Amino acid sequence: MGILTLLLVLPLFGAALIAALPSDSRQMIRAVALATGLLTLMLAWALLVNFDTASSAMQFYEMHHWNARMGTSFALGIDGFSLPMVLLATLLGFVALLASGGIRQSVKAYYLLMLVLEAAMLGVFMAQDWALFYLFWESTLIPLFFLINRWGGVNRQGASLNFFLYTMGGSVFMLISLLVLFDTLPGHSFAMVELAGAAVELPERTQLLLFLGFLVGFGVKMPIFPMHGWLPLAHVEAPSPVSILLSGILLKMGSYGLVRAAAMLPQGVEALQWILLTLALVSLIYGGLLAWRQSDLKAMIAYSSVSHMGVVLVGIAALNTAGLTGAVMQMVAHGLVAGALFLLIGLLYERTKTRDINDYSSLVRVTPRFAVLTTLAFVAAVGLPGTVGFIAELHAIIGGFERWGWLVLLLSFGVMISAAYAIRTVGRLFTGPVRPRMRHITDLQRGEMLAASVLTAAILLLGFFPAPALRLVSASVAQLSSVFGA
Amino acid sequence: MPSDLAWLVVLLPLLAALWIAIKSLTGRGVGEAGERTTERAALWSLAGSLTLLLLIDLQALLTMAPGQLVYGVWLESGTLQVAISFTLDGLGLAMATLVALLCLISLRFSVNYMHRETGFHRFFMVMSLFSGAMLLIVTAGNAVLTFVGWELAGLSSYLLIGYAYERRTATLNATRVFVTNRIGDAGFILGIALAFLWIGGVEWSQLVVAASEQETRLLGVIGLAFLLAAMVKSAQLPFTTWISRALEGPTPSSTIFYGSLMVHAGVYLLLRLEPLFMQVPVLLVLLALVGLSSALYGWLCGLVQVDIKSALIFSTISQVGLMFLECGLGLFQLAAWHLVLHAIWRAYQFLHAPALLQLLDRPQRRAPQWLRRQPRLYTALLQRLWLDSIADWLLLRPTQSLAQDLQDFDRQVVTRMIGLPDETGAVSALAEWRKERGEGRDTVGRGRGMAGRLIEWTATMLYWFEQHLVLQGGGEGLKRAIDLVGHYLQQVEYLLGQPRYLLLLIMATFVVIL
Repeated sequence: MGILTLLLVLPLFGAALIAALPSDSRQMIRAVALATGLLTLMLAWALLVNFDTASSAMQFYEMHHWNARMGTSFALGIDGFSLPMVLLATLLGFVALLASGGIRQSVKAYYLLMLVLEAAMLGVFMAQDWALFYLFWESTLIPLFFLINRWGGVNRQGASLNFFLYTMGGSVFMLISLLVLFDTLPGHSFAMVELAGAAVELPERTQLLLFLGFLVGFGVKMPIFPMHGWLPLAHVEAPSPVSILLSGILLKMGSYGLVRAAAMLPQGVEALQWILLTLALVSLIYGGLLAWRQSDLKAMIAYSSVSHMGVVLVGIAALNTAGLTGAVMQMVAHGLVAGALFLLIGLLYERTKTRDINDYSSLVRVTPRFAVLTTLAFVAAVGLPGTVGFIAELHAIIGGFERWGWLVLLLSFGVMISAAYAIRTVGRLFTGPVRPRMRHITDLQRGEMLAASVLTAAILLLGFFPAPALRLVSASVAQLSSVFGA
Repeated sequence: MPSDLAWLVVLLPLLAALWIAIKSLTGRGVGEAGERTTERAALWSLAGSLTLLLLIDLQALLTMAPGQLVYGVWLESGTLQVAISFTLDGLGLAMATLVALLCLISLRFSVNYMHRETGFHRFFMVMSLFSGAMLLIVTAGNAVLTFVGWELAGLSSYLLIGYAYERRTATLNATRVFVTNRIGDAGFILGIALAFLWIGGVEWSQLVVAASEQETRLLGVIGLAFLLAAMVKSAQLPFTTWISRALEGPTPSSTIFYGSLMVHAGVYLLLRLEPLFMQVPVLLVLLALVGLSSALYGWLCGLVQVDIKSALIFSTISQVGLMFLECGLGLFQLAAWHLVLHAIWRAYQFLHAPALLQLLDRPQRRAPQWLRRQPRLYTALLQRLWLDSIADWLLLRPTQSLAQDLQDFDRQVVTRMIGLPDETGAVSALAEWRKERGEGRDTVGRGRGMAGRLIEWTATMLYWFEQHLVLQGGGEGLKRAIDLVGHYLQQVEYLLGQPRYLLLLIMATFVVIL
């Protein structure tokens, strides 16, 4: 069994272990889940030791035939695009488990589903066969549906159904594209390498149509305007740890898939480059303005996700080294930032039971630790130099500028809007006179502090020393951008 | 060899300053209880520096002075390179030993003098910082590192003039002195930049070597830039006025800043650049003129002073002016001796000044006879030749009115366009805050000013779109449609469940098959 299979099986094993435990031993269940999360995290980060940053090839590759007649195989591997996502997924998975201390009802089912969800997400990032990819892609939906539906907020039923339908609807288009692709090719295989090798030969028009299918499928997940209808509802209603995973990793599955599809159908992407840019810029500004308009904190972060994923799409659409680097970095940055924000706001909500920003004030005096970490996360969301957001946005802007020139000024405009709502929120939450209602809020406890400061530390660390992360993605990015001659 | 540890000389006082700062920030060991540890940190670090310097001195006497020591590269960009280097030749060593000794003495003096003062820890922190800075000025091997020390010394001077920051005059004077010193810094930076440009390096040794090779004209410009820096730091005409404002700080700090050490930093710079100045006769003439006029000015103004600190400071100005004059006449060696002796003597006088008044019971010496017969000159000297007023009139007021105009423009035009709040936006009371934010009213998503309104309007439009089309039309609508279809299907299912329709269906199937 290869190390990647082990990585995949580990959370499932933890889930099985939890299933075997009696449902009233909460402490035990939580301990098992945390241990599993930590082990997975350590195993994933151990991959860094043997990962060759100079090579753009798939590494730790392993392949078992699954159904030879269908051409499917159980193939796993990682490269410079997937490794950062795997690392992020295990990190945020662990943080989400840490932050789940507030879950009181049906603890057993909750942790079980969380671990299954983590395994499915890891599978998406590691799969090297489109059939396997699709399988993992769809299997993230089931735990998520239940997680939102059972442990969510007031309007959880509607939100989970909405989320499910949207994503399913999107993936139908992806499935159609995949099947058409499978059918037009002589090899009859779903393996990513073979499919990519053959798809490049297709005429431009076919590639364009196929890519459109992928765009709809991945665009719903990312989300790209106007396919983001599920996102505000799901994010607002989901319990905070699930929101962390949802915005931290689930959204990245969309952009990750888009990068993979772009590598497979280069002519199709190039033909759609302008549309991608337009969609990206619209998402960026649309999401930003709506985030500015929200007084519900969770909804604000949800819309800011739309805006930030717009930056990712700008980077992908630029199709050059700087742009793609910016896209991957922004995926990491947004994962960390949105994770940290949902975590902190979720913890705040647990204490105050209100998400309306108008109810807050002057928390810096009552909860200084909250104030520091939240402020850091917000300035990272704006992309202040010294945070990972800056590295990402800078690369995306450079990439966009190389491709389109001054048009990327609109991206800076989006950043400005994000500064407006981020600073406004920080001001509203932490400054102003003390209100009687806000006087007795407990500050972050030890475990919560650990979870939040791990994310904040990562934000700052990657902001000040981005070189290791950039080196990690450089080979794969260079390989992909060379396809597009930039 | 002790000279291998030369970097420690500068580092030790800086570390002490850092330690005291951390101690104060974390709130440990503050107040009277912590005075002992603070003073020990400051004193022992400085004593360490002094011991190390004495060892290096000994080494220099027995063998030879270490000269230029390079420890590595500080920053590098293209051809620009700044090394971490120290110049420990005769001049550097002598000056450094003097600095360490005098700093140590006045720090020891401050232990009793500052006892139970509110800013005890702050004072020792800044004094340690200053000691490190001063040591860096005299030992640094290149102009950039010297400049670092130069600025740190300026900063600590600012902090100590404003020591009693709750008093308005103290803060005003601190700012004034700090800003005046920026003029000299401009000269220093210009000198560094020109040295990079024309000589290709900023090591003092490089500059000195280049002096014999470069054109006189270029050397003259570089020299002039450094001369400006030296004139401001040493309070020579026409920049003398800042120094009397600087006496606002506690006496021990006045001693080493303006009495004996920092005021000589300018002279040290001249001594360091001796070969350069020797190549440019015009600069020497200028030096002599500046020195002579400052010496006269200091002497004359000193005659009419009535308080002891002012009298001392004017006498300092005239002595430093004499040093400039000596440099101008080419007597750099003499100026160096003069500097050392004057520094020690003046430190003694300053530290002694508070006690002196107690000991003496004879009346204040009156101004000399000839001066008393010249009332106009007397008034002019009392007003210090109106140098401050001239500076105000020439520089301060125009700058202020220009700033006022710009602020008006900002308030009238820019603020309204962008929609910043008119004043700082600070509210002090809960009631005011409620009025401002409109308690109970949702003010999120409200913009101010033209740009704000535009954004608000756009956001409202998009919000409507989102609510009606994306959320209700997309998400909710989809669900509703599915509900509807499901309802119909259920109807069909129900009908199919009825035996009569089932039979009908079977018959229809037969018909089709047949």
